[in-house]
Amino acid sequence: MEQLTRRQALATAGAAVLGGTLGSIRPARAATEITAVEWGGDVVNAMKQIEAKQDKVKVNWVLHQGGSGAILPKIKASWPRADYDYVAGWEGSFNGMVKEDWLVPVTVETVPNLADIPQKIIVKNAKGEWVAIPRAVGGIYVAYRKDICPVEVKSLDDLFDPRLKGKICWPGPTQAMMLPLVALSLHAGGNEHNMDPGFALMKKLAQSGNIGRVGVTDTDFSTSLTSGETAAGFYSEPQLTMVAKSFPVARLTKQAGVPTFLYQSGFAVFKNRPNLQATLEFANFCISPEMSTLYGEVAGEAPLNVKAKTPDSLKHLAFTPEEMDKYVYVPDFKEVLAQQDAWSKRWENEIAPLL
Amino acid sequence: MKADGSFPLLLPAIAIYLGLFFLPLSWLLLESFRLYTPGGIGAAAGAPLTLANYAELLTPAFARFFLETMQISLLASLTGVLLAFPLAYWITRKLSARWRAIAVGFFVTLMFLSVLVRTYALELTFGAAGPLRPFLLALGISPNSRDYIAILVGAGLLHYIVPMATLTLLGTIQNVDPRLVDAAEALGAPAWKAHLTITLPLSMRGVLAAFLFAFTFSISAFIIPMILGKGRVLFISNLIYNRFSEIADYPSGAAISIVLFAVALAIVYAMSRFVAKQWTP
Repeated sequence: MEQLTRRQALATAGAAVLGGTLGSIRPARAATEITAVEWGGDVVNAMKQIEAKQDKVKVNWVLHQGGSGAILPKIKASWPRADYDYVAGWEGSFNGMVKEDWLVPVTVETVPNLADIPQKIIVKNAKGEWVAIPRAVGGIYVAYRKDICPVEVKSLDDLFDPRLKGKICWPGPTQAMMLPLVALSLHAGGNEHNMDPGFALMKKLAQSGNIGRVGVTDTDFSTSLTSGETAAGFYSEPQLTMVAKSFPVARLTKQAGVPTFLYQSGFAVFKNRPNLQATLEFANFCISPEMSTLYGEVAGEAPLNVKAKTPDSLKHLAFTPEEMDKYVYVPDFKEVLAQQDAWSKRWENEIAPLL
Repeated sequence: MKADGSFPLLLPAIAIYLGLFFLPLSWLLLESFRLYTPGGIGAAAGAPLTLANYAELLTPAFARFFLETMQISLLASLTGVLLAFPLAYWITRKLSARWRAIAVGFFVTLMFLSVLVRTYALELTFGAAGPLRPFLLALGISPNSRDYIAILVGAGLLHYIVPMATLTLLGTIQNVDPRLVDAAEALGAPAWKAHLTITLPLSMRGVLAAFLFAFTFSISAFIIPMILGKGRVLFISNLIYNRFSEIADYPSGAAISIVLFAVALAIVYAMSRFVAKQWTP
């Protein structure tokens, strides 16, 4: 074997150091720092991967604690000084922000990739201006772990099966905008404007003893199902996707008689921030076809950009117009939002004592 | 009060107390009388004053939340102090100085261990998916039953109460002259009677302090019932959090907070008066 002399070793080491140093020298750039609030888990992982694909913006990530509405009081407390450049949210939190007039209106001129987003879904203010940038769509629907659920759930009536005792994780009154309760109401002949049938059915479900856990945070559901504490539930997409990564999950998005709700997730960009332009450019980059595809693959929400590719794992969220009419229920979100306080108190009065 | 020139030294503390305690509390009180419009974030500026936020608390359901919080807190506090008293006595009277230092260090360390860590440890071990599940089921105990969940919440509170009460009682027991018990025993009193009639009454103020620390900690506990309560056993603090942080109904959250504050003050006052009346030397 050829011996390496000290001179050769030094020369090699010197070349390596020089090469490494020169290799690390890049043209100077000053990334603009922005502060963004995102959901944890796969969502923020997806956003970090997207951030790494560009160098104009460096993001200081802050995570939602609890539901996306939990951030609103903190923003209000410091307003008109905004601490965040954008906050990830959905219809529920967007509408709260719109009411407070915190958001910057957006257009195709300021966020060009909005041209590839279905305009119908974009949240508007009272003047009809677009005030949020949608990036993906997720679902809220019934699902169960096929490997441990003792019942093959085919309808909402199956949730009352005695074999499911303690095996259901149901969202609490501050989760998923109480849409699962709206689903019960629809099942019993009511709707979001007439929730009495829904509450009556919810009482029966609570009395059945089948609810083992009431999810009060996003992660309650995924933790409960992955640990095997519960086996079925009515929850939202990222949590269901998280469970589905490790276990076989039946997702009833196209089951007659079991309503599915769709929600958008996206960016709410705030007024009164110094880096508004950089934030809009970053949001625009995030909803580009390539980044939307990446987001869908990692975060588990179907991209809204019509040029993006929906991953196979999210085909359950792809609906034909006929399927949309048949399985997806689009509630009157204004009514749903206006009733959150009343429904939540009604839950405390009528449902919580039975759990 | 004698004017000895020390008052100015108190001014920074008074200013901080006024700024960080009375001012926010006054705001909370005012907010509790504001009318809330659904969908808003807190009361709107200039919202009219109303008693509606208090009136809506006059329901059996709210009374049940309140009683459950009080019941679990009371039982956990009493159990905690009962467990802590012999521990504190043993550490004070029976251990050498070296072992006493080790024991105190152990309890101080327990206090520093995150409440979140302890709570999840309990959840993982005794929860519905924990390793003890088959054992519990064999005993006929369902880990998903409401009573079991309530007991688990109480156990979570005990994790914090026992070290806190033990440390509080160390000084109290240390201050009881052991020669009094020795004298009683020398005069023929059995040990248990000497302790019940001498050690316990002389420690009562410390016991009360330990109980009140434990009780105020318990009724305001948030993380423990949130995690171990599975959304089914809820404390008042969880309701307050929901009102403030999730549905942004500040006036309602403020009203519940004020009621909880008033009840806690009344209990502390009543307990202090009772102990002072019964055990004043």
